[in-house]
Amino acid sequence: MNKKKMNDRQKTYILMIIPALVLFVAFNTIPLITGAMYSFTNYRGYGSYDFVGLRNYIDLFSDSRVGNSYLFTFKYAIAGTILVNLLSLLLALGLNSKIKCKSLLRGVYFLPNILGGLIIGYIFSFIFTYIIPAVGSALHIGFLENSILASEKFAWIGVLIVGVWQAVAMNTIIYISGLQTIPADIYEAGMIDGASRWQTFKDLTLPMLMPFVSTNLILSTKNMLMVFDQIMALTKGGPAQSTESISYLIYKNGMDGGQFGFQSANAVVFFVVIVTISIFQMAVTNKKEEQL
Amino acid sequence: MSGSKRSFVPQPIEAKVKSADEIKNDKGGKSSVFLTILLVLGCVTILFPLYMTIIIAFKSPSEMTNDINGALSLPQSFSLDNFAEAMRVTDFWHSLGNSIVITAATIILSLVIHSMAGYAIGRNMNRKKGFKMIYFYIVSGMFVPFAILMMPLVKQTANLGLDNMAGVVILYTVFYMPMNVMLYSGYMKNVPMAMEEAADMDGSSAWRTYWTIIFPMMKPMHATVAVLTALGTWNDVMTPLVIMSGSDNVTLPLAQLNFQTQFGTNYNLAFASYLLALLPIVIFYIICQKQIIGGVANGAVKG
Amino acid sequence: MNKAKTAKSLLLLAAFSSTLLLQGCSADKYSDGKIHITMLQYKPEAVKAFEKIEERFNATHDNIHLDIESPNEAMTVLKTRLIREDYPDIVGIGGDINYSNFLDAELFADISDLDVVNTIKPAYLQIDKDLEFIPQEGVYALPYAANAAGILYNKDMFDANGWEIPQTWSEFLSLCETIKETGTNPLYFGYKDTWTCLAPWNALAVGLAPADVCSRVNSGDTTFKAEYREVADKIKVLLDYAEPNPYAYSYNDACTAFARGESAMYPIGSYAVPQILSVNPDMNIDSFPFPANENEADNVLNSGIDLQFSVMKESKNKEAAYEVLRFLFEDETIQIYLDDQGGVPCKEGDFELPKFLSGMEQYINDNRMSDFHDHHYPSEMSVDALIQTYLMDSSANSAETFLDRFDTEWVRYNRDLIAKVKKYEEGQR
Repeated sequence: MNKKKMNDRQKTYILMIIPALVLFVAFNTIPLITGAMYSFTNYRGYGSYDFVGLRNYIDLFSDSRVGNSYLFTFKYAIAGTILVNLLSLLLALGLNSKIKCKSLLRGVYFLPNILGGLIIGYIFSFIFTYIIPAVGSALHIGFLENSILASEKFAWIGVLIVGVWQAVAMNTIIYISGLQTIPADIYEAGMIDGASRWQTFKDLTLPMLMPFVSTNLILSTKNMLMVFDQIMALTKGGPAQSTESISYLIYKNGMDGGQFGFQSANAVVFFVVIVTISIFQMAVTNKKEEQL
Repeated sequence: MSGSKRSFVPQPIEAKVKSADEIKNDKGGKSSVFLTILLVLGCVTILFPLYMTIIIAFKSPSEMTNDINGALSLPQSFSLDNFAEAMRVTDFWHSLGNSIVITAATIILSLVIHSMAGYAIGRNMNRKKGFKMIYFYIVSGMFVPFAILMMPLVKQTANLGLDNMAGVVILYTVFYMPMNVMLYSGYMKNVPMAMEEAADMDGSSAWRTYWTIIFPMMKPMHATVAVLTALGTWNDVMTPLVIMSGSDNVTLPLAQLNFQTQFGTNYNLAFASYLLALLPIVIFYIICQKQIIGGVANGAVKG
Repeated sequence: MNKAKTAKSLLLLAAFSSTLLLQGCSADKYSDGKIHITMLQYKPEAVKAFEKIEERFNATHDNIHLDIESPNEAMTVLKTRLIREDYPDIVGIGGDINYSNFLDAELFADISDLDVVNTIKPAYLQIDKDLEFIPQEGVYALPYAANAAGILYNKDMFDANGWEIPQTWSEFLSLCETIKETGTNPLYFGYKDTWTCLAPWNALAVGLAPADVCSRVNSGDTTFKAEYREVADKIKVLLDYAEPNPYAYSYNDACTAFARGESAMYPIGSYAVPQILSVNPDMNIDSFPFPANENEADNVLNSGIDLQFSVMKESKNKEAAYEVLRFLFEDETIQIYLDDQGGVPCKEGDFELPKFLSGMEQYINDNRMSDFHDHHYPSEMSVDALIQTYLMDSSANSAETFLDRFDTEWVRYNRDLIAKVKKYEEGQR
């Protein structure tokens, strides 16, 4: 009787996972394999094509444009991840302390997360092109007088500002919920010791928050590495190709240009890179969590 | 470390705690005003772009001059002409309807399919290798760049007759599967097995137990999944652009992209249409703000 | 029990809604017994003209229904349709590298048996022939409208100041100096949109470099470094006469600025005129070919095919597609298009040239024209971004850096093509 029950249970489990599995295989794994297959061809996206062996992969490592897109993407992702996590941690601490209009403020700070990246990009593009230079020339602040998006050196910062503006919201909420899992009596104990605010934060809050830090780090690194919408709306990879992210290059030359095969190879490598980084991050933060 | 410090706490603990509390309250009282002001000031960075969008959307092109005043002063009159024109050009109600249908259908499918998978995985992944492998297999999908899937998917959906809204819904269900399965299976860790065992005793089948007891119990996670999935699908441009191209149906963000290329010179009209595209989700957000923030937070804690 | 019901109804709803979606979208659209012809054209800005044309066609034809699509991101849309083998019957695209690639992929049908072909000006048919990677038998595209690129100028401003149209490069520079002294920008660029860098580039290149430079490089006879040096030097000089920091402004911004009289001239193609007029409908715009040389006789007008039609090989209704093409090439239809979009008709006949092309008319009539060089550049090489990079590079040897890069990247992006052409040429021998 009991055994029969177990079998029924197991069968049900398997039955329940099948729809998801079928969909996933059909619309994720199969296209992924197809795409990976194209990476060994010189397919343009239409017409006939030939297999070219590993040529695309060899080219990847000698292609300066791909190299630059990796440099930009990593620069952007590292700066973005650090900034986002610092800002959202500060915001979370602020929004979690005794303040007035707490829920209203939280509501406002979460707002950027619900707005579409493309439209936000268009709006910020206007701000960077017209409003900030106008402010700069009115106040005679030299470095503001030119649009940041037009500068080969600094355009990436413009993209970064918008990316961070949007990403902070989500991480803040995650940190706030992390802070709320910390029982209040721990702080009271800290108070008794007469620990300074910084000490309390460093010795009590941060260790308790570690799982949330790792979640946030992994999430924001991944999102920052895949930056696309902001580039599309703000710079289209310019000026002087200084803001071409990997995702943007794959889309632009794979879809618009005739490099589908080559960019598939780029995407395969990119996939491996992202997975490696995430696994590495997980391993490191897990270790940290255990240590504390 | 902190534990060892705690043992040094001297005897009259009651009094000490009280005074600490008082100090904390005092400090809290002062800093709350300061912090509140600081945080309100911070809000300006969030609200300024939106303020600007609103006023530019109401202005006429002649009111736009190249100084700060031209961009930031209030419009002479709050005329709705720009909005009427933008709505006409983007076929607003039709695109809005499409966006709603796609998002709603995606949510329903996600709740059903992902919760089942998450449940099955969450109940078995610690005991059975197979389920654990399936878990990592699905979650790794989170890291696949869309660009590599795009072209094969275009071909595949077309071959299956899914180059339409239904196809977009199915693709979204797959795209959000890694995150949602992770959330659901994580949530199951907190639900004791005793629930099912009790139901089993009553002779209920596992299938029925799931739908009568477990599924309703996952309600907080359903809210989270619905919110996160909705935010992602509502704002997405690429999927409908490549999958539904050629059909007459566009979604709200897609209409926006079209608008941008066609009417880019008229900033007032463009901003009116941006605002129209942002409005539905902002309204929805204002109504369901607690649930949305709560949902996201829940995902972070339980997932 | 109640909860079970909720769950079940939810499931039902999901199943129901998904089948509904499936049915709603896969239902057969065509049940009126007519032959349906789908045409996809890539100029979204011409949507109004094509709506009018579509309406007129359907009103006069009982057995054929024409459906014209003018989507944005048309090339992405077209390519995704090719992938999913959902071919339109007719495509309207530009005479550029995309046409060469599509033709090379054998997507287009030979339409040399269509009578309309004989009414097209041979010069334009030749431009399409030159775009073929490997020479083909037959006709695969019908040129519809050409554009011309050079300098657009604010006629009222020129008349008011008594400025003369320059004939040579030094006359052009001294005109720019004169205008600059009045406090107006002589030129305006929208270099934030990198493709606009190609407008002055092409206009200079047709006058300073051989028309077949790309195929000559492919066969190893010359290098870009040798042929493009002067073009590179001159395009950089133009920056002195434009608004500061042109990389901050987009194409739209530049059109708006020119329309509002913030600059006297605008080095861009005639395709920008409808955009400019949408900002300032009363503006008096005229144009002249880019005076790239010191000798006026060496100057050439930069003109290429802006819109041309091809019938897809996969079209099942070639006869009906021909009927649509015949209608498109009726003089009245062409006039509808020209009234809306301007441009130069590719059909022989007495069409009224738009006013803003009067400064280029002589060149058009004398056939002193040459196609845009970038119509031969592979789009994934992003020559526009290379030019933008070069313009922003202020080091002394920037031109060398740029031209060296041009040559090396050209080989990298064109090697399959070069190999293909070599193979073909060897086969010919």
